[in-house]
Amino acid sequence: MANQYEFTPEDLQEIEDIKSKFPEVMPATLPTLWVAQRRFGHVEPDVQELVANTLGLPFSHVHGVATFYTQYYKEKKGKYVLDVCTTTSCQLCGGYDMLHYLEKKLGIKKGETTDDGLFSIQSVECLGACGYAPMMQITNDIYVNNLTEEKLDEVIKSLKAGKMPEFESVGMPQHTERS
Amino acid sequence: MPELFIDGIRYEYEGSPKLLQFILDNGKEVPFFCYHPSMSAPANCRQCYVKVGMPVKDRETGEYELDENGERVIRWFPKMQTSCSLDITDGMVVHTQETSEEVARAQKDTMELILINHPLDCPICDQAGECPLQIQTYKYGPEGSRFEVKKVHKPKRVELGPRVTLDAERCINCTRCVRFTEEISETFQLTIASRGDKNYPITAPGKPFDDPYSVNTVDICPVGALTSTDFRFKARVWEMNQTPSIDITGGKGTNVDLWTRDNLVLRITPRYNAEVNDHWMPDAGREAYQRFNEKRISRPSIKIDGDNQVKTSWNNAIETFAETLEGNKPSDVVVIGSPHASVEENYSVMKFFSTWGVNNFHFAPHIEKGFGDDFLLTDDQAPNTNGVKALGIDESSDLNAAIKSAKVVVILSDELIDRGAIDASSLKGKYTVLLATNESQTSAAADLVIPVTCIAEHAASYVNVDGRVQRSFPAKETKYSNRKLNLEMSEGRLDRHGTYFDNWVTEENKIDCIPAWEVVSKLASRMGLDIAFDNSREIFEEVSSSVPLFKGINYERMDEENGVQLTGNSKEEVTA
Repeated sequence: MANQYEFTPEDLQEIEDIKSKFPEVMPATLPTLWVAQRRFGHVEPDVQELVANTLGLPFSHVHGVATFYTQYYKEKKGKYVLDVCTTTSCQLCGGYDMLHYLEKKLGIKKGETTDDGLFSIQSVECLGACGYAPMMQITNDIYVNNLTEEKLDEVIKSLKAGKMPEFESVGMPQHTERS
Repeated sequence: MPELFIDGIRYEYEGSPKLLQFILDNGKEVPFFCYHPSMSAPANCRQCYVKVGMPVKDRETGEYELDENGERVIRWFPKMQTSCSLDITDGMVVHTQETSEEVARAQKDTMELILINHPLDCPICDQAGECPLQIQTYKYGPEGSRFEVKKVHKPKRVELGPRVTLDAERCINCTRCVRFTEEISETFQLTIASRGDKNYPITAPGKPFDDPYSVNTVDICPVGALTSTDFRFKARVWEMNQTPSIDITGGKGTNVDLWTRDNLVLRITPRYNAEVNDHWMPDAGREAYQRFNEKRISRPSIKIDGDNQVKTSWNNAIETFAETLEGNKPSDVVVIGSPHASVEENYSVMKFFSTWGVNNFHFAPHIEKGFGDDFLLTDDQAPNTNGVKALGIDESSDLNAAIKSAKVVVILSDELIDRGAIDASSLKGKYTVLLATNESQTSAAADLVIPVTCIAEHAASYVNVDGRVQRSFPAKETKYSNRKLNLEMSEGRLDRHGTYFDNWVTEENKIDCIPAWEVVSKLASRMGLDIAFDNSREIFEEVSSSVPLFKGINYERMDEENGVQLTGNSKEEVTA
């Protein structure tokens, strides 16, 4: 069966550059999977096989690596993947409320994708932003901090308009003025 | 010589052994799961923890520092060490679980963690009875589990490939199977998928685990996660008994164990031999057990009116054989030896016929080009090609021509028609006598079929492609042999306690056959020739005194040295 996925010449050049950074091919697996995920939006088994064949590594190895990391999407996801943190700090500050609000708003459960292919929701473990709980991450990229229902409405609205939220700099307590 | 102290006892070592292997080699024990002597040591099961320290040396004088009692001062490593991956260094002091409460406790705790998600299904698990996890939990593990939450569930009864079934819940992620496909069979078909308590070994999506050596992963799996699809639920290990033997499906002479119960061979597993097959065997050889049980020829049969064969008595079979020979001249008889039969069988048949006056001996090697690899599979499909050559039987590429002018054809245990070495039409008009183990097209074509013992029923020797002579032991009883009287046969629990009056013993599983050398002895006594063989050991002694290549070799040496290399049998001769 022919693989329906193919790298563009630019991708292949990028992969060559990645490979040249390492003495062996194996360490190039992770960055090459990123190249693939950027190109196709996911790393389904067929994409994993493409990566394996491109790098000349065993398919099983690439599969093992891809399944180890949750940041690689092993199935098709929405354009925007909303990773809502539900680990301790966020949980205490309303992480589950935010998750359930999103679920209700978008009409899907966690782990699912909306019919228009725009949003997926995931409940994830700690993203290391406990100071700004509750928070979520959009498609392995921007963090949205100090979530409230209003803020989520806004974010969804701007994402629907194709606009990623801006990076928010949140000061740590020691940076705020002490009175 | 450098020294180390294990549990207060001084040992000397050479080279740079790993600590765990050294401990095992010296007859002591430390529990472990992921370590395997033939593969790399990733130290991921953490079970082989020991406490290790080094003596303190004075930097200036280089002398060991001594305490007030004159003992060396030991600086202990801050944490337990995995002995499988630790290099021994001079002066090292080691405490195993035998002398250190701390080590015993550490091993127990590791075991408790390994067992958190392990299902308690030993009563229905095939591995039970030969399971390192089960054994070591009894010996070193905790009595119960403190984890009362629901266990993690993972895929069960996954058909990894045609021959291996996976139960991911039982897996402890030692990665032995993954390392086997990476380091030994080099097919890279397995990987560990997912992470944390959800991980398990699996093939790449949509790919079967069809490695020609796949079942070895079942043997090395320290739990019941990988099981043999063929052997699943067939028998408990403690009901069977184990007999050393040789793989007959290839020329490599892979050392195997035959596992029998009630005189049926139920499975074949590899037996360690560093010179031949290490710990491994090809999957092809494991299927040979069917040949030992099924479609066996039991009781002689003779062709009457046309092509109909009927069973007949041993007396009639021998009488017919003798009359046929007596009705012809020795020059009209062709004898076809067999690379599938042992040295002893070929020798005894050849000796009888050459004494009687026949000098027309042939055999056809069974070669399938392209079947072999650089490992344990060989192009040679027969276990004893070099043995037959060593006896001086003519190698013949065209048997049809060789038997053309003959009136009587005697074939030893070789399915010549089935494998295309001879055409059925070539046997037309000739009287064909076949000594055989299994029903085949060849046996259907023969005029007289005499059942002989297979490798699972006799002790006999075979010479592999590299010129190494190795021998088998009888594993299955025939109608005429008795496990309790034949001291070479091993006895399992059911063999020892079964009687003819219970359902553990099935008389039909014993085949009505005798070794080829007994057939020869009967025939010789009927025809008045002075040839008689009592047993294969005696025959081999005769072979070793008359055939130069086998000089100085006997069964005792083969047993002690795990097979003996024939001298003068070069690699070249092997591939021919």
